Amino acid sequence: MPEVKPPKMLDTSPESSAASPDAPARATTLSQRNFGYKVLALVALGFLAVLAAGISAGLLVGRVQTDTGWVEHTFQVQQQVQSLALDLQNLRTSRALNRLRHQNALNSPEAADYANTYRNIHTKLDSLARLTRDNPRQAERLAAFHIWLQRYVAVSAPGTFIGPADPVPQVNNHLFEQLQVLTVGLFGEEQHLLSLRIANERASIAIFWKVLTAAGILLVIVAIGSVTVIRRYTVDLAGSRDELQKLNAGLEDMVRDRTADLQRANDEIQRFAYIVSHDLRSPLVNVLGFTSELSSALKPLDALIERAEAEAPQIVEESARLAVREDLPEAIGFIRTSTQKMDRLINAILRLSREGSRTVAPERIDMNALVDGVIGAIKHRIDEEGITVRVASNLPPIISDRLAIEQVFSNLVENAVKYLKKGRPGEIDIRGRALGAQIIYEIQDNGRGIDPRDHARVFDLFRRSGVQDQPGEGIGLANVRALVYRLGGLIDVRSALDQGATFILTLPAVFTGEKEQAK
Amino acid sequence: MMAHIPVNIVMIEDDEGHARLIEKNIRRAGISNPIRHFTDGTSALNFLYEDPNGPAQNGPALILLDLNLPDMSGTDILGRIKADGNPLKRTPVVVLTTTDDKVEIQRCYDLGCNVYITKPVNYESFAEAIRQLGLFLSVIQLPEIKGD
Repeated sequence: MPEVKPPKMLDTSPESSAASPDAPARATTLSQRNFGYKVLALVALGFLAVLAAGISAGLLVGRVQTDTGWVEHTFQVQQQVQSLALDLQNLRTSRALNRLRHQNALNSPEAADYANTYRNIHTKLDSLARLTRDNPRQAERLAAFHIWLQRYVAVSAPGTFIGPADPVPQVNNHLFEQLQVLTVGLFGEEQHLLSLRIANERASIAIFWKVLTAAGILLVIVAIGSVTVIRRYTVDLAGSRDELQKLNAGLEDMVRDRTADLQRANDEIQRFAYIVSHDLRSPLVNVLGFTSELSSALKPLDALIERAEAEAPQIVEESARLAVREDLPEAIGFIRTSTQKMDRLINAILRLSREGSRTVAPERIDMNALVDGVIGAIKHRIDEEGITVRVASNLPPIISDRLAIEQVFSNLVENAVKYLKKGRPGEIDIRGRALGAQIIYEIQDNGRGIDPRDHARVFDLFRRSGVQDQPGEGIGLANVRALVYRLGGLIDVRSALDQGATFILTLPAVFTGEKEQAK
Repeated sequence: MMAHIPVNIVMIEDDEGHARLIEKNIRRAGISNPIRHFTDGTSALNFLYEDPNGPAQNGPALILLDLNLPDMSGTDILGRIKADGNPLKRTPVVVLTTTDDKVEIQRCYDLGCNVYITKPVNYESFAEAIRQLGLFLSVIQLPEIKGD
């Protein structure tokens, strides 16, 4: 056994040294990830800012549009006012012409012109009233204009003051001037509004441009940030991928090395076990041989004592008689049983070491047939003990080594038969199910069970558990475990004292271990 | 038949106990030929080839060979005895050892051993095997050694 340890220690040391540089690397990736999150948050913030800039630009465009609308409106009003002033002039001209040519007759063409112009003025006044409804000052002016217009018309309309004389030209002129002043007032107000509104519009446009510029700059910054982050991530990703590949390659090498080491260690153990068991047998042959010689030498001595007792009892001492009749046979008996036991143990080691090196020949096994065979082989004992054996009819078949599987089942079923609970009729259940690439077989009994403390121990060589009232060396389960490992499987036990035991076998559905072995 | 040509039994066995048990049982089978015992390979080979009373110089012999020897492997001795052109090539060699390894047995027969016997740990079987061997020795015909 000590041979095993050094390679094991060698095995573990590269692992620990490989693990230590691994830790800081993980720390840096963590901080990198943190940094990445920060940058990502900043970029998101940038995008939000751009979005805000976009929204405000949109709002500003709306505002500029409104401003432009107002400016247009003002122009419209001014145009109307100018047209009004023109009409007023026309009104005056048509009155003057009418007075000059027709003495202000009612039915002259100029009178018709006057009436038309007057109607036009009214229409324009109405439309101006509509347009400037929101401006009380303009409304006031318009109202005044209305009044002054009525007054003016009252003294200047055709039909008034017919004849060459015009009694009130001063009044007329004064009224007209008033109207002109009002027109100029209307126009001036609009001019004032226009300049205000144009200034507003300009301001909006200026803000709009500023916002647009800011948004553009932000966009560029965000774009640069995004590209940087993406680049960093890509570089990181590529880096970690390379590292992973390197690690992976290293891992494969490591696994190969480990496997080789393990294989070597395993071979060593097997050689060791073989040599030990072999060389131990040699002195054992002597011990047994000479014990046998002793026991055969005892026969003539015994005969001698017998004859002496018959012919000359006085020469037979009690101690000599006891030595030949009791002490020597007893000593020889102990030596013999002990050496025989030792021989069995050595044989067990030898068998285990051979089991480990035996080539596994996988084939498809009908498990129901195999289990029936195993049960058939110990049928007499099962009947003798009155044990009920239930085997599930659908045990999944397996591709594995027939001999090994047979030995495993035979050992487990024999154990179940052997370790019954006294006074309880024995029951054995055998079932199986497939679980992915594995097949699980369970062998359950209602026997005396195994103390949970001994669960690991029962699989060790020469170790047994519970009341030692059955013959055995503690080899069976060790052999089972060695076989199951050899087949690439696992064995476990579920049990408690007096509660029966369930042995759970997990085996690969298809044996593939040989290839790994070949590597 | 052994009367006019005395056959020497050469026993190469490192374990004194085994040697004694083998000798006892051969004698019990009624074989009275001289038995020469060697516990190591070197002195055994020396006797086989150099000694004036050895088989190479003096008459036929039968060799009982153990495979586990302190100074060399029994198979080396077997290989040398059975090598082509060797004066002892026709000398029967009985390998008597504890190893029951298949590979080892095959190797011994490949090298030319005549009989391979595994020492049983069970003494009765062992004694029986040796006695049978003794009986076997009493009837087999041995070739004459050339060169004398």
